[in-house]
Amino acid sequence: MKNYLTKLASTLAMALMAFTAFSTHAADAPKTKIAVVISTLNNPWFVVLAETAKARATELGYDATIFDSQNDTAKEAAHFENLIAGGYKAVLFNPTDANGSVANVLKAKAAGVPVFCIDREINATNAATSQMLSDSYSGCVALGQYFVKTVGTEGQYAELLGIVGDNNTWNRSKGFHSVVDRFPGLKMVAQQSADFDRAKGLEVFEAILQKNPDLKAVFCGNDAMAMGAYQALVAAGKDKQVKVFGFDGADDVVKLIAEGKIAATGMQFPKLMAQKAAEYADEYLKGKRDFQQKIPVKVDLVTPANVGKYGDFGKK
Amino acid sequence: MRRTFPFIVLIVIAGGILWFFPLFHVVSLKQAQDEKTAATFNPAQFAENFWTDKLLPSLAKAVPAEKLLPAIQHDPANAKKQFAHTLGMSDSYTYFLSGTGRVIAVSDDEISLALTVGSTNDEVTLPTGLLFGNAVRDGTGLLDVNAYPNSQDFNNIAAELNHLVETRVLPGLKEHAKVGATVRFAGCAEVDDESTDLKPLHVVPIQAEVE
Repeated sequence: MKNYLTKLASTLAMALMAFTAFSTHAADAPKTKIAVVISTLNNPWFVVLAETAKARATELGYDATIFDSQNDTAKEAAHFENLIAGGYKAVLFNPTDANGSVANVLKAKAAGVPVFCIDREINATNAATSQMLSDSYSGCVALGQYFVKTVGTEGQYAELLGIVGDNNTWNRSKGFHSVVDRFPGLKMVAQQSADFDRAKGLEVFEAILQKNPDLKAVFCGNDAMAMGAYQALVAAGKDKQVKVFGFDGADDVVKLIAEGKIAATGMQFPKLMAQKAAEYADEYLKGKRDFQQKIPVKVDLVTPANVGKYGDFGKK
Repeated sequence: MRRTFPFIVLIVIAGGILWFFPLFHVVSLKQAQDEKTAATFNPAQFAENFWTDKLLPSLAKAVPAEKLLPAIQHDPANAKKQFAHTLGMSDSYTYFLSGTGRVIAVSDDEISLALTVGSTNDEVTLPTGLLFGNAVRDGTGLLDVNAYPNSQDFNNIAAELNHLVETRVLPGLKEHAKVGATVRFAGCAEVDDESTDLKPLHVVPIQAEVE
């Protein structure tokens, strides 16, 4: 009996040792790596997009790293080379250029690395595994209708465009113009790119304002440029004369809408898109393959009338 | 002569290769422009073909208003689940419906209809002014965003379909729909979210006949 108990105890001890060794090994095993490649981190909206994607991927048990392309397709291409060589298993991707980024996604696909586009699209349906895209056009149709309602059907206005090679720039501009151009009394006296950048928005709009003192409104392709334009208006003492319309749903702009200083914006949902993209990557890595190629995400119009419902880059 | 012979042979071989595999083609400017136009997506042409070949033949599949409107009033969430189309991740959705109503009011930009017998409330409105939005593009569920590599093409289709409604449907409706007239319609309604008041339901008509 004593012999039997000794044998049992030693067997249990060995099993415990083996389990402990396995557990330690499992804990030490390197986590699967996911890359978060973002067009630029020089804009708080994209920082939220990147950090949310990284946080959700980390929550799901992955080792996530953010790569900043600095709005440069060459840097973006280098990131893809590095992440493919570095053994990353999926990419959560905010492209720099709708056409220029296609080659990078195809390269990743060829290497067996799935790419999930967030917010911005690439002009291909055979490259990314899935693309979760802000429905910028429809958002700007709604914004254009509100523009006409608040500015009126006559007067001069200016437009600040985003990056010229980005589809979102044109989806927003075309959505807005599909409404506003129907009212011939509304004259666009200036249309210039400020690359979705706040400092450039300030600089470009200062020059526009000097040449066009009778402006009634400015439509900006994103909130960073809207903040730059608003800053220029405050400096020129014209912030009461010229209505500013942005797009993104950035926190600082939402606060200024609540204070009655900015007219409206389109609320995109960066956190929602980033979280979903990370979850899609997780599902892919667990075996799922049938993803819808394009998933438009609705953009909400935020005005002083409903601003209380929005904040923190989404609906409260 | 001996020295130049290899060069002549080389030139002849190079000439032969270039004949079969030319480095460039010279084409007329018109031909080049025509080829470029053919390769570019033409939303107006697409909308025209879609209108005739797919949209009008699909009107028979629209949900009858006498079925949809009570369903919405009874249980909006269930009506949405049963009859609506949603594009991507969105709170907004579209209905594709048809019905017959009596004109009870006419304003500058819309016509109000009562559909229920004896009703004096506007249950459906039909716009007669400028059209914006994606009701017609998305309402029937016939078009798939995944078929368009560049979403600008998909967006342009919405604008072109609205243009067709404005030019083909609304002028006749505006001219003939007087208070008391009967209107048979089929069209699409875009609902912003579940908090939207659906009394009345705003329907963009794809077809409207006034009696």
